[in-house]
Amino acid sequence: MNRRIWSLAVITFKEGIRDRTLYGIGLFALMIMGLSLVVTGFFLRELHKVTVDINISAITFGGLLIIFSLSVNLMSKDLDKRTIYSVLSKPFSRAQYLIGKFIGLVLLSLTALCMLTLVSTLTIWAVKSQYPVYFKEFVWLSVFQAVFAEFLMFMVLNAVVIFFSTVTTSSFLTLLFTISTYIVGQTVEEVVQFIQSQAQEIQLTTAVKTVIEMTQYIVPNLSVYDLKIRAAHGLSIPFSYLLSITGYSLIYSAVLILLASIIFSRRELT
Amino acid sequence: MTVNRLLPVSLIAALLLYGAAWQHLQHERHVFLQENYMDYTLPSRFTGPAAMEFKGIVSDFLFLKVITFLGERIGKQEEFNDQHFQYLEESVNTITDLDPYFWDAYLFADMIFTWDLKEYEAANKLLLKARQYRTNDYRVPYYLGFNYFFFLKDNINGSKYLMEASKLPASPYYLASLAARLSVYALEHRIGIIFLKEMIMDTENEQIKSEFILRIKALEIMDQLEKKVREYKKTYRKLPSSLAELVTAGLIDKIPNDPYGGQFIMMENGRVYTTSKMLRKK
Repeated sequence: MNRRIWSLAVITFKEGIRDRTLYGIGLFALMIMGLSLVVTGFFLRELHKVTVDINISAITFGGLLIIFSLSVNLMSKDLDKRTIYSVLSKPFSRAQYLIGKFIGLVLLSLTALCMLTLVSTLTIWAVKSQYPVYFKEFVWLSVFQAVFAEFLMFMVLNAVVIFFSTVTTSSFLTLLFTISTYIVGQTVEEVVQFIQSQAQEIQLTTAVKTVIEMTQYIVPNLSVYDLKIRAAHGLSIPFSYLLSITGYSLIYSAVLILLASIIFSRRELT
Repeated sequence: MTVNRLLPVSLIAALLLYGAAWQHLQHERHVFLQENYMDYTLPSRFTGPAAMEFKGIVSDFLFLKVITFLGERIGKQEEFNDQHFQYLEESVNTITDLDPYFWDAYLFADMIFTWDLKEYEAANKLLLKARQYRTNDYRVPYYLGFNYFFFLKDNINGSKYLMEASKLPASPYYLASLAARLSVYALEHRIGIIFLKEMIMDTENEQIKSEFILRIKALEIMDQLEKKVREYKKTYRKLPSSLAELVTAGLIDKIPNDPYGGQFIMMENGRVYTTSKMLRKK
């Protein structure tokens, strides 16, 4: 059974790697990283911060583009092109199909992330050797910890793509829902904090408050994966925190995949 | 046929037109920007959530905008006014809300606030914000202390923050003695003594240690002498005219020697100082 899931994951992964979009996204990220070589010189002292900011942001942006374009496409392709029939005619359960797809997408994100991290390591190293005086506060470990956290976020977002592609019938809607989830996930923490701190000044109806309160339990809190600022200033992240966000991502993804499996197995494929 | 021949000609004409339009726009834009143009930065209430997880890079971009905008004005030697102050204050608030550890932004604003705009309260407020986040950075209390001492003539707070700075890692060793020396002027010798004793425990360099010990000695003598001056005042209901009067009154055996080689003197307000200013003679 595991072998079947694995082979499906590999097929998904290979299909993604062959896609030309990947090269475009890679090139784009490389350009931003190259930009850091030039732009960093415009700043005063904290060049390490600027370099790390630009590089990790480029990695994140590249990874997000891959999810919004490739992952969404890879999920909907089977349904759109009706190739799903030939896949499901094999001795597969629909849940296994989704798990295989999910692993394939995560592998794809992981590979892209590794490539981008490798290149950004070189760029950071280049800037560092150019201005060694301004890199005293710089710590490699924090950078890699931040990249790891981004990977965890990509995993959750891939699960979100899987979930929405089982709910909706069009890839455009999946894209729209995934982007919305991303935006809400990134801002929900700040919004909730804002409302709590300004409770007296802003008059909100209880209905609105309840909706926001509920949202923070339903939508993944993606701010927890944003360790870029700490990484940029060479501040280390406690191991327990990393463990906690890893657990959160794994469980959240598992819940989504399970929900998707339930929905997908009841869905009429026409 | 004719249409095909017309296309390249029209393209050339269009390109020429584009060139002219571009030139015109450049000119208009230049005039537009010259007319009291003031840059602005949106408050972090909006920028924060809008930047999502790209707060770091957005803060870099905003800071770059601020330094080019104000840098251009510095280059032209324009006088800064209230508008500039407001712009800088708002921008730096947004930038440091996005990335509260961004020292470059704090320092740039602090420099302009104090030297160009003479807005010391705003500078200190900003540095106090930096102090909440950059807890291990001696430069934050160092600049705070400097502002109090140099601009606000507030020696008590000046030496307080310098002492705080000297306890933080990587701070230059002279900060400790500087803070202690300030404290002489800041009415409180005892703070200097306590502080230096604390510093000795953390210091491994023997030479610096002996420097501290010497300074403590001098401070303790001055502290002791001031106590005697107060005693004198209690009994005679007036200040002694000089330290020598303490000897004649029998409060001390003799005026002690300054370990730095100077002489202790009493000021009109009853404070005791030394002519060496606690600097080793060269």
